[in-house]
Amino acid sequence: MKWSEGDSIPEWVMPEVSAERMRTMAALLRDPNPLHWDREAVAALPMNLGHRTINQGPLGLSYMVNMLQAWAGPACIRRLVTRFPQVVLDGECVVARGKVTRVSVENGEHIADCDIWLEHAERGVLLEGEARVALPD
Amino acid sequence: MYSVPAEADINALLGHRFAGGNYRLEHWENVLLTGCTGADLLPDGLAHPVALFHLPITGSGTSIAEMFALGQAESDLSIMIESYDWEIFEPLREEQDYRVEGCIASAERCNEGEREYDRIQFVFDVSEEGRPVARSTITWHYTRNTL
Repeated sequence: MKWSEGDSIPEWVMPEVSAERMRTMAALLRDPNPLHWDREAVAALPMNLGHRTINQGPLGLSYMVNMLQAWAGPACIRRLVTRFPQVVLDGECVVARGKVTRVSVENGEHIADCDIWLEHAERGVLLEGEARVALPD
Repeated sequence: MYSVPAEADINALLGHRFAGGNYRLEHWENVLLTGCTGADLLPDGLAHPVALFHLPITGSGTSIAEMFALGQAESDLSIMIESYDWEIFEPLREEQDYRVEGCIASAERCNEGEREYDRIQFVFDVSEEGRPVARSTITWHYTRNTL
């Protein structure tokens, strides 16, 4: 596989962020935050988000993980730094995208440093960060 | 109006260590976790990397609720994420016993214009038989009087 700086990573689409998956995730994480399972709690916030639950940060991040693994393999991720400029809401279609910023060889491995982000068609970039990925031979 | 914690109380969190402990990600848990992400189960017993959020927290003997309480969060709704930094030295696997140690690596009061919040950084180290497997760094903002 040949990759170089500036190459785009094939996108990964979550067609509809699921409130039910958020509920399962909240149970797995032992996360008491009602924003992830109580639409009334979200509607009461002064953020005009409506009656929609807010996706857990790690769950939004996982869509970018899925993109990287589909691209470079299931054990490819070496480092992932993610920031959260906007929330992800249930019912939304979001797309994970990325771009290679540097390719190098370290300890015999081909390593790609990448900018990654999660995007919504109207609201723009919801999550953003950097990934370090081992590329397959 | 919520009572803002004393800055000295926040600063005193620096160096706080969690009890430490072990965590085994069971197959059923990885199946559910992976399903939540919309991905297929990974091959060869690999765990979905999203486990790097809750595995270190639970494994180190703490919980999201305790992390909220340590920073005196004014409510469960008041935490904002600055960043998650996951370093993976070896892929995580199902049914594997991991040792986890965790601490608070940074705790400070921040002021940005009229916005006052406390920034707390948690660092968790995951290892297997002494070999480093992963490090998770969680940085949260504890907002004050914003709700």
